[in-house]
Parts: sequence; C-alpha cells; structure tokens
Amino acid sequence: MTHTTTHSDHDYEQVIGEKLNDAQLRTNLRSAMDTLIHKRKDLLEDRYPEWEQLRTMGQNAKLKVLSQLDSYVQKFEENATKNGFVVHYANTAKDANEIIYNLAKERGVERILKGKSMASEEIGLNQYMKEKGIVAKETDLGELIIQLIDEHPVHIVVPAIHKNRHQVGKIFQEKLGAPLESEPEKLNGIARKHMRGEFEGFKMGISGVNFAIANEGAIWLVENEGNGRMCTTACDIHVAICGIEKMVESFEDASILNNLLCPSAVGVQITCYQNIITGPRQEGELDGPKEAHIILLDHNRSNILADEKYYKALSCIRCGTCLNHCPVYDKIGGHAYLATYPGPIGVVITPQLFGLDNYAHIANLCSLCGRCGEVCPVKIPLPELIRDLRAEKTHEGRGVVRGYKDTKHSKLEELGMKAFAKLASNGTLWRAAMAMSSTFAPLGKVFGHYTPVLKKWLRYREMPKVQGSLHAEVKKLPGVIYE
Amino acid sequence: MRVYFFATCLGEAVFSQTALNCIKLLQREGVEVIFKKDQTCCGQPSYNSGYYEQTREIVLHNVRLFKEDHPIIVPSGSCVGMMAHDYLELFEGHKAYEEVKNFSLRVYELAEFLDKKLEVRYTDLGAPIKVTWHSNCHALRVSKVIESAKKIISQLSNVELVPLQREEECCGFGGTFAVKEPEISNAMVQEKIHDIESRQVEYVLSADAGCLLNISGAMAKVRSKTKSMHFYDFLAQRVGLGV
Repeated sequence: MTHTTTHSDHDYEQVIGEKLNDAQLRTNLRSAMDTLIHKRKDLLEDRYPEWEQLRTMGQNAKLKVLSQLDSYVQKFEENATKNGFVVHYANTAKDANEIIYNLAKERGVERILKGKSMASEEIGLNQYMKEKGIVAKETDLGELIIQLIDEHPVHIVVPAIHKNRHQVGKIFQEKLGAPLESEPEKLNGIARKHMRGEFEGFKMGISGVNFAIANEGAIWLVENEGNGRMCTTACDIHVAICGIEKMVESFEDASILNNLLCPSAVGVQITCYQNIITGPRQEGELDGPKEAHIILLDHNRSNILADEKYYKALSCIRCGTCLNHCPVYDKIGGHAYLATYPGPIGVVITPQLFGLDNYAHIANLCSLCGRCGEVCPVKIPLPELIRDLRAEKTHEGRGVVRGYKDTKHSKLEELGMKAFAKLASNGTLWRAAMAMSSTFAPLGKVFGHYTPVLKKWLRYREMPKVQGSLHAEVKKLPGVIYE
Repeated sequence: MRVYFFATCLGEAVFSQTALNCIKLLQREGVEVIFKKDQTCCGQPSYNSGYYEQTREIVLHNVRLFKEDHPIIVPSGSCVGMMAHDYLELFEGHKAYEEVKNFSLRVYELAEFLDKKLEVRYTDLGAPIKVTWHSNCHALRVSKVIESAKKIISQLSNVELVPLQREEECCGFGGTFAVKEPEISNAMVQEKIHDIESRQVEYVLSADAGCLLNISGAMAKVRSKTKSMHFYDFLAQRVGLGV
C-alpha cells in the first residue's frame, strides 16, 4: 500500500468491500472500539467532572500557539539549541527522510530502532530506509506486530487493533519462531524477549513527539511500554520527528493537553511512561544519547495553517478518539482509507497533506453524524471541516485545499444538485415535481433498479411509499391557514 | 399564537400523514397553524454534499417565504439543525446574514416547542406497550432536542421506553451518504437493526423521517419482526388524535 499515489474510486470501492466482508476484522474492531469507548466514558464520569472546562483550556492552549506558530517554533528552536539539541527543518517528506538517512550514513549506522511515530509513517520512513539499505525496526508492540506482517497502522494510537490476541500469537509463531500463545502476558513476554535482543548495542533511535515545549526547548513523549524510553536514551543518536503543530507554549499547557490525551486515547488518567527530554547527555550524566536531533516537519502544514478554518485541524493531539467513535471507521478499519491517517481526523488532514486530487474519495467516508466533533478533546469542528472538504471538491468552497483544482467530482451529481436547488427555491416547480413523483411512484418500484441513485438505495432497502398528497389534505384540515 | 409549519421534503413526499398529525398536535394546544404552499426543503442534501452556492439559493427562498415574526415549527431535529445552526454558518460574512439570523432564531423542532414553549401535559389513552427509541444524530448533537422528545414520552404512562444499546450511533442514513456509500451505510443500518431487535419491543420510534426511511426500509428488506413508527404518529395515537 502506498500513500502518495492517486487512488481511483475503484481502489476504494474494492478495499471497502473487502473490509466490510472480513468478519474477523469487523468483530475485532467492534469489540476493541467498544472497550475504548466505554473505558473513556466511565473514566470521564468518575474522575473528570470538569471535562468540558478542560477541553476549552486545551483548545485555547493549541489555538494560541497556532495563531503565531512561526514565533513559537523560533522560540523552541532557540531554547532547544541552548539545551544541546540539533534542530533541523524539513519542508517535505523527502527532506525529513534525507536528514535521517544522512545522519545514519555519516555515523555508519545500518539499523535504526523506532518508537511509535505517526509522522514517520506520514513520510514513509521505513520504506525510504529500506530502499537505501538501512533497516528501520519498530519497537512499539503494535507497530512490531504489523511490521512483521508488512502492514501499516490501522489506527493512529493502537496500530494493530484489528488483530486479536489469537492472531497475534500466530504472527509471533510464524515470524519469530515463538511457541503458540494467546495470553496477553505471554505475548508481551515474547515481544519483550525479541526486542531486548534488538536493543542491545543499537546506535540510533527514532521517536515521535507529543508536545514540543517552546519555553523550555524540551520534548514530551507519551507511551505505555518503555520502548520509547529505550529508543530515546539507550542509543548514541536520538532523532525526534516533530510535526510543527506539536508546539505548545509551556509545561502547564502540555500538562493540560496530556490530561486530555490519555483519557481520550485509551480511557486512562495517565500512561505508564511520560518521557520529558531536554537534550543529549550532559557531562557527568550516566545515560542518554550523545547526540539529540529534532526534525521540525512542515510537509504542507503551513498550507493548512494559512486557512481561516482548516488551521484548527492542526490542534489535533493524535488521541484517536474520533476514530474510536466513528461509525464508518469501526466498520471498515483504517486500511480502507488508503491513507496514513484514517478516521475523521484523517479525512480532514489527509487530502491537505497529500492533495485532494489524490484523496477525493476519502471525503465520502463520513455520514456527518457529528460524533467525532462531540468527543474531540480539543474541539476541532471535524464534521464542518469534512463538509467544507466536499465543497472544495465541487469548487464551491474557499479553494484552499491542495489539489482541489484537479479534483474529479461527479458531473451527474452536480447536475442533480443544481436541478434540486432550482426546484427547492421555487414553490410552484417544487409542487409540480412532488405531484409527478407521486404519480410515477409505482413506476419507481418497477424501474427503480435501473436508475443509479434508486438502485443503490434499493440494494438494501425497500422502496418507501410515496404519498405526495399533503397539500390537498392540509387544505381539508379545519383551522389551518393555507396561503 | 400563530406558527408556521414546515413539513420538510420527506414530510411532503413520504410522511404526509405524519405532517398532518403534527399539525393536529399543535392545534390541540390552541395554536393557529400557517402552512405556506410554496414551502420546499431545508437544503440539507446539497449542503452536506458541498454545494454551498446552490444551497444559499434554497436558504434565501425559505428565509423570504417565512418572513412574518412567527415561530417556524419543524418535525425533524435534522432539518432544525440545518435551519437554526447550519444556515448561520453558511451565511457567515454574507450580506444576508442578519436576515438569515432573524429566520434561524425562530426555528423550533416540534417536540422542543411542545415541551419547552407550550409545556404540554399529556394523558396516555393507549394500551400498555414497550418501545425503543432511535436518536437522530443531528437532533442529538446539532439541534440538541432529544431531551424534549424523551420528556414527552415519559408523560405517557402506559409506554415503557427500553433504551437501545447503541442509541447514539448513526443509523447510516446521512442523506446522500446512503447512496454514495451504500455498502458502509448498510453495515451501519444492520447494526442498528440488530440492536433494535435485541430490545424485544413492539416499535422503534424516531422523530426523524430520514432515519426512519432508512431503518424501516432496511427492516422491511430483512423482514424484521419489530415495527417502526414516526414519533409524532405514535404521540398523536396515544393522545387520541391520530389515524
């Protein structure tokens, strides 16, 4: 699966069909999403009576930085440099990959260990390194599982959530030669034993960043397994990939966002490991990398930032709760989006990162039920932004999303909507159309299967009984003013 | 008191009996109902598909049609979400914004109007019955009127309301979504039907024609034993108005 090439409608339809028919996938996703939803709900009810106020504080912390991102990034660079970090800027995915590759090459590194990082997925780091002859190995349990079977993350927080423990046991048996197990503790044990070998004497570790703190020039990493800590401290060279939108002003702001992140993501107050990294090993210190690098990744984020509405999407703290609550995501899973970022936030940002012309179809993967916006911890108006994306496709929006000019959209739909608008803004025409539809409704039952829209409706539903005599009936009702 | 009644496009095309029952429910409280013959649709189909310019034409038609200072009563939380909330967003920064705002502020969902403005008190005339309830997404999250409908149900002494396990999950209608992504939409409605059937009730009720069109159409296709009914038809029956 690639992330940057044009996908046809056919690709999408085919993959969606496959995923919908995968009974095991559907069961796994349903059960995993139910667990995540309930854990979050119970935790918020028990422990967070002021969740709404916290959301507002989190939203403000992000919007404050985004409104002057340039100056915060500059401040971060200054302070991080003082702390001994080497700060790099990457405008494109290729720039970021090249920086990492050159660092590895200069130091003779042939094997890189990675903590969880969606930014590294976004730039296609593993594939890039593979082509250059360097092995990039995942250390996060979920990432390890899917790397073993050559898949991409199905979810932005829990990359292997589409596989149950029995399937994971089989993967470990086949790929690692481990005995067949299905108990989580034993599976963890297998992964741990495998990873310990990998960590021995490794030179270069890659990580993501949850919060980059401008006032301190420090980075904050949230994880559950300790592998992130290993990747960032047990190596000689640590490289953190940081989307520029990960910037926050202060530790206080990062704490607010962390208090929103953990409950939203997995329904816990705090994760097992919270790594705050202030630079490389200082003189006299016993551990930590000799060199610490940060790559500030733009990759079209500046374009998103420039729009009056879409910039809010950069507030995302990657908690994944919009995926967990999305009725489309839980039916098809993340792979069906054919994109690095699936689910509602993915629908919003994927076309902006990779071009709407490449991802035109993704805007359809939403019923606009609004649940994502309701649960988003930093109040990103996801449904509104998805609707705006559709307007970009039809060229009736603000004309701001990359690639919108070359987006194909259905001419049939456009004609239909124009005709609809004409009818719906003229009472006489509308009544005539209603009268016709009720006259011809019985024919619809016969010919319905041959007209494109009705055909799709009738595939899974019976034809409704069209009445269309409302006006005549209303006129007969005593006391109604019909005018 | 005089009000405008907006039947909605589905009320006109498919749920006309429901529209008549809604008018009767208003008249029962002594409200005088104006029915504008040139009324059409709220414009949600084109809006949600991203046809903003076309939708503005529809909005202005409605704004200018319902021009007197009467409340506009709509029997659909979804259309209310559109007319009271989305219209404003669509006209932000537009020269007609104030005109649209004056319209939007007068829009009420029927149950909301019955409960909050008219403070109805109903006596249940029906036999004991078990029902379940499907919340329309926009009624729940945009117009936020579900509480009113439930409060009204709670006044019906012989009606036992059994909640769905996944009440807050979309039924898969989503307007044009149902025909643009028919396979995903079907997967969603099948989950909804499964939930409804597991409640072992006589009826599933909803105050939204779109969801009902979807749920009842799919239930008919799979020959479900549970029946569906529009909330306002049910209510009219329980208080002795309906047919």
